[in-house]
Amino acid sequence: MKDIFFDLSVRSVKLNFLRSLLASIGIVIGVVAISSMGMLGTNMQLSVKQQLSANVNTIMISSDVVRTTSTAGVTAAAAQGIDKSTLNDIKTSVGQNDVIPIHRGNTQFTIGSTDGRGSMYGMDPNDITKFLTIDQGSNIKGANDALVGPTIASNFNMGIGSRIKIGQNCATIVRPTVRVAGILTTRGFAPDGVNSDNAIIVPDTWYTDHYGGKDVYDQVNVIVQDISKINETEAAIDKKVNQHTQTVRIQDASSRLSSISSTLGTITTFILAIGSISLVVAAVSIFNVMMMSVNERVQEIGILLSIGTEKGEVRRMFLYEAFILGVIGAGVGGLGSLVIGYSVVSAMIGNTTYFFMPESILYVPYGMIIGIVVCLVSGLYPAWKASNMDPIDALRAE
Amino acid sequence: MVEIKVEEALTGLSMSEFPLIRLADVTKVYHLESGDFKALDHVSLDINDNEFVAIMGPSGSGKSTIMNQLGILDIPTSGELYIEGKNVSNMTNLERTHIRRDTVGYIFQKFYLIPLLSAYENVEYPLILKYKKRDTTGKAAAVLKSVGFDEELSAHRPNQLSGGQQQRVAIARALVNDPKIMLCDEPTGNLDRKTGFQIMDILVGLHNEGKTVILVTHDPKIAEYAHRIIELEDGRIVAS
Repeated sequence: MKDIFFDLSVRSVKLNFLRSLLASIGIVIGVVAISSMGMLGTNMQLSVKQQLSANVNTIMISSDVVRTTSTAGVTAAAAQGIDKSTLNDIKTSVGQNDVIPIHRGNTQFTIGSTDGRGSMYGMDPNDITKFLTIDQGSNIKGANDALVGPTIASNFNMGIGSRIKIGQNCATIVRPTVRVAGILTTRGFAPDGVNSDNAIIVPDTWYTDHYGGKDVYDQVNVIVQDISKINETEAAIDKKVNQHTQTVRIQDASSRLSSISSTLGTITTFILAIGSISLVVAAVSIFNVMMMSVNERVQEIGILLSIGTEKGEVRRMFLYEAFILGVIGAGVGGLGSLVIGYSVVSAMIGNTTYFFMPESILYVPYGMIIGIVVCLVSGLYPAWKASNMDPIDALRAE
Repeated sequence: MVEIKVEEALTGLSMSEFPLIRLADVTKVYHLESGDFKALDHVSLDINDNEFVAIMGPSGSGKSTIMNQLGILDIPTSGELYIEGKNVSNMTNLERTHIRRDTVGYIFQKFYLIPLLSAYENVEYPLILKYKKRDTTGKAAAVLKSVGFDEELSAHRPNQLSGGQQQRVAIARALVNDPKIMLCDEPTGNLDRKTGFQIMDILVGLHNEGKTVILVTHDPKIAEYAHRIIELEDGRIVAS
């Protein structure tokens, strides 16, 4: 059955084509804003997640519990490292999984005549290849060999065999020198705490010889072979090491991943909220158009009511009109969001791999539905107003 | 013989107890900024089935108000209005709407066709209201034909029709649900004399077919068509 009220609404939209078009454009913009922003946020989350989940199988153990020592009445605070017995406890509690103790610090250095500053890691050369990849050269062989990150290497024009003087540049002190044995591949942000791109990695013996802290580590990483057992392994470490007192803090990348994801989720919600402001503006314009439509058709409404049209039918007619505006706006907006969303994602994230995944592309139908609902809600009051007119007054209107 | 007697007795009873329309002491007061205005002042009136009544009076005498009451577009401030024995004041809004749709055919001075619909659709519209579906019985076309509209002319929108043609469509629209009562509010007021008489001929025909025709006019020539003339002045019936 073709509803005559729907017909009337279609004709009214056609009759006021330009006005209806302008109102619909508001919805188009709103739908595009919501969908594109939603897709942008989701694509951002997905691509960051993918980058982060590469090292998600690593448990980071650090000692940030502060020990206070009373010395001559002055209470000094000192950070405590992970000592040998704790390391042994960790090793016994994780079974077959790899345990990588790491020394960590910052240092100034000089290459040729250029001074620089960067992170420094000290670890067993045998552990390095368990989670880092060497791009050029080879792993550390001699006691004075070092690996450098790609950023530091390119910034200082280093190659295999380059010499690095470690420590503050000072004419009166002879500084130790290491030789670059290899250059690592780019790692980006490392959720296991080893940000090697801008770092110098030396053997643990070299590190403790020059900085002290032998057998006291800043961080211990455990690489879990079976990711599904990561929580179990963490619990085992916690039980063994934190038996009596809270000695170490145990974190894994998955918890960091989830906290980053939730932050990104908040950002997505925020940009969605910005997008929805445009829908609010669109709602106002639809409301305005609907009120104009009602006010222009007062006499027609009077005729409809006086010859026996039910109030509900008059309401339906105006809701159809709002619905038509919504469907047109949402349809065009849906197509527009695909085009604009794709452009925005590729421009701002530079990666459209995730664009057509359900999490992302679903924002298009969501946006469209929201657009239509906004139209219908905006049409409620005008429709109610039309249906509750007094037919005699309405007929008299010119 | 017995059956006929029973029928006569029944109709006789219903006719005598309930005229088609009964206004009992109806008063209508409009609350205006300048004060209350009594448009109808204790009006009592019976109109029987198949009467042809003209309501006359100067402007402001309450002609339109009484038509709005009869068309159930409004309800009395006090007093009662019965249509087919039912008290309009006790009806729900929806019931009143359905009486407007099914029992009363309203013809206006300004035709009041729906501008967005063609002549045919204007006539079909009350059928859709009643049956909730498009007309497949050909009734709308038949009624249009009875007022002189062929298919081609029926496809025109109201603004493409002359005044006389529009009024014919309005009559067809009022007729299509086969109402008992035809309310005609100055039906010839916007038409030239010749067209006006043509329209009156249609109304006379309807009366002959059994409709109750109630006509508001200030034109004595038009009022002559009626069998009973009710004169209003200041909201009161002064002659009937």
